[in-house]
Amino acid sequence: MGLNIAIAGNPNCGKTTIFNALTGARQQVGNWPGVTVERKSGRFKHLEHKFDVIDLPGTYSLTAFSAEERIVQQFLLNEKPDVVINIIDASNLERNLFLTTQLIELGSPMVIVLNMMDMADEKGLEIDIETLATLLGAPVVPIVGRSGEGIDVLKEKIVRVATELSTKSRPINIPYQRDIENEIEKISNLVKQSNKNLHEIRWIAVKLLESDEQTRDEIRALNSGEAILKQVGQSIDRIERLFKDTGRAVISHARYGFIQGAVRECVIEKLQDSVDYSRRIDRVITNRWLGLPIFGLFMWLMFKITYDLGSFPMDWIDAGVASLMNLISGLLPESMFASLVIDGAIGGVGAIAVFLPNIFILFFIIAILEDSGYMARVAFIMDRVMHNIGLHGKAFIPMVMGFGCNVPAIMGTRILESRRDRILTVLINPFMSCSARLPVYILVAGAFFPENAATVIFSMYIFGILAAIASGKLFSKTILKGMSKPFVLELPPYQRPTMRSLILHTWERGYLFIQKMGTVILVGSILIWVLGYFPRNVELDRDYSGERKIVSQSYSQDLFKLTLNFETSIKKDRDSYHSEMVEYPASTGYKQLKAQYDSLKSHISEAEASTLFALRQQEMGDITERKWIGRVGKVFEPIVAPLGFTWRESVALITGFVAKEIVVSTYGVLFGVGDDVDEKSHGVISGLRASGMTPLVALGFLVFTLLYTPCLATVAAIKRETGTWAYTFFSIAYSLVLAYGMAFGINYFGTMFQWLS
Amino acid sequence: MFNFRKPQYRVSAENLDDLRLSDLKPGEKGRIVEIGGSDQFRHRLIEMGLTKDIEISVDKYAPLLDPMELIVRGYHISLRGIDAQKIVVTKST
Repeated sequence: MGLNIAIAGNPNCGKTTIFNALTGARQQVGNWPGVTVERKSGRFKHLEHKFDVIDLPGTYSLTAFSAEERIVQQFLLNEKPDVVINIIDASNLERNLFLTTQLIELGSPMVIVLNMMDMADEKGLEIDIETLATLLGAPVVPIVGRSGEGIDVLKEKIVRVATELSTKSRPINIPYQRDIENEIEKISNLVKQSNKNLHEIRWIAVKLLESDEQTRDEIRALNSGEAILKQVGQSIDRIERLFKDTGRAVISHARYGFIQGAVRECVIEKLQDSVDYSRRIDRVITNRWLGLPIFGLFMWLMFKITYDLGSFPMDWIDAGVASLMNLISGLLPESMFASLVIDGAIGGVGAIAVFLPNIFILFFIIAILEDSGYMARVAFIMDRVMHNIGLHGKAFIPMVMGFGCNVPAIMGTRILESRRDRILTVLINPFMSCSARLPVYILVAGAFFPENAATVIFSMYIFGILAAIASGKLFSKTILKGMSKPFVLELPPYQRPTMRSLILHTWERGYLFIQKMGTVILVGSILIWVLGYFPRNVELDRDYSGERKIVSQSYSQDLFKLTLNFETSIKKDRDSYHSEMVEYPASTGYKQLKAQYDSLKSHISEAEASTLFALRQQEMGDITERKWIGRVGKVFEPIVAPLGFTWRESVALITGFVAKEIVVSTYGVLFGVGDDVDEKSHGVISGLRASGMTPLVALGFLVFTLLYTPCLATVAAIKRETGTWAYTFFSIAYSLVLAYGMAFGINYFGTMFQWLS
Repeated sequence: MFNFRKPQYRVSAENLDDLRLSDLKPGEKGRIVEIGGSDQFRHRLIEMGLTKDIEISVDKYAPLLDPMELIVRGYHISLRGIDAQKIVVTKST
């Protein structure tokens, strides 16, 4: 068992950098029980001591408003870590020290880390470390987290504080005005009497004056709880009368008073003109006129890099999966098991694994945007737009990411602080047309709107955005009403991200994708394989092999006749050939006849091939129709019939539930060109046209594909991020209903007004 | 969908004559007199250092003219106009 250490601090104070510097790669990432707040823990050794470190969520204060703050408060009170490392941004002392005053009151042994000393220097701040340590009653270690300067000193200090438990701290009290101190004393005495085992009496008294719900509940449970709370009520009344403000506001003001006094004593602002580099950068980046174009450029670059750079490893993975399938099919004898492994498991998971490079690159870029401080500027720039749908400016990022893939986008909603905002963003995210839907658009639009394919595809994207905005407005006025928090956003100074933290961030999120989505997709792929594989032998109405034989026979008869004709003609021609100078086979007459013969011959074999191909398509379609997958399609056919869809569309849409690009390969199977097709395959296009689908139905199908239930991986991500099945099922149901309604509308009104005919 | 003028807010507080943080132009400074709005909002701002008498300066408005960027206690914070309108200030130089 090692010593327990907790790292606490404001958001943007460099907590994670120091956590990484302490623990290296020995980290575990999970969730705090019951909430989707990341829980990071790690361990490290110093001399003979072992340490378990927990990186608490960044908070400005210890109150019970947000999930993060509740977690920090409860963890510090219940788990009682051996040492709390309080990280402070040295370039932003006053606000960072607010949390410190609360931690001091909480009474855990503490080491204070002054991080970002380099930036404080740049700002022209000179900090008297010794005086600060005396004033705060805890050792203070100056550090430059990015370069690791000072980490060893920190480790030493941690060991010292952790092992010298007897001299645990030189406890100091945050002094309040006399009137408040009086009330604190009254409450403290009562608490002390009722339960002698309670530590942090002063902390409890202060929290009670601040009307902290959590503390009130704990006190209420005590024997003399009611009496204490009565006193608290009187004290609060008194304070409010005296100061004309709530207890909490008065105490917060007193804390800042203490902080201002401390800062005045130990910080010298050098007279030289300090340069606020971040402010200079922001003169351009969030400039009134340049801000939006620069943001647009960054977004465009993000996409460009994600897809262009991702396409190289994409091809390698594709080739890797193919050779793996070959290798295994060489090792395993042809059997059901072999098909399950190769076509089901490897084929299905491989189809998704192809997107891994994109996802990792996207996460890497997002890590850069986050670590550098640009993400806060995005929220600043886009807030007005997002405010329109009742969202925080930051919600724009996951929305844009949704164009790439909804899964990382939904996981990206973690950058939002409020749960309500996260859920709302998660729910509307699937309407952002992800890249998996593009192959479907290209195929269907290419088949039915060859002249205007680009316009049709583009309007799908626009339609998706409109659906997201409309749904967002609807949700924020109905099911997610009124829980929105005021927009209070810190714009932290820009920083150059460290490679180490970028790689760690990327890996953490990417690994979750591999882990969670891998399992879901594996199960889904096997399910589809089962549906397409059974029953093994199907009875067909037509004797395809017989028909094939007849076709082949008739063509070989044609060929035979042709050859016979050719030979007769040659014979005739040779008989009338008299020249002695040139051998007959080199004569013009022979050459002409031969050329004629060759061209006719190739005509015949082409015709044969295409007839056989059509026959094969029909056969595959017939077979699939009789497999379970086709039967399922048939079951749903009456439901989708009002949209103009047949059993084929219903099969394609059902399989598209695993991953939307599967819609294309399903059509490939249905039209018998094998599942190794892409959106440019002519077999599928001709098959689609021949299947009786009209352009109107095709449009409905496109809209349905855009709107309906996102893929399994997305569903898993929704479950993961909302934490409840209720929202997950709601999302599935809502998108299905919307898709059905829209496609029905298109078909109904389209038929009525004869659009596209 | 958006009007590209600085959004106008209904002044909700009692005293219509009070100068509000949202009235300040980029580059102007003020001292906080009082913060209105819900307790949750007030407490959040106070805990982030927007205490009485503290000097706060308006750095700029966002490209779409909302929210605004402020400097207080040496750091940068952003508030929406609708929230800044709840903060009563006196102009300082």
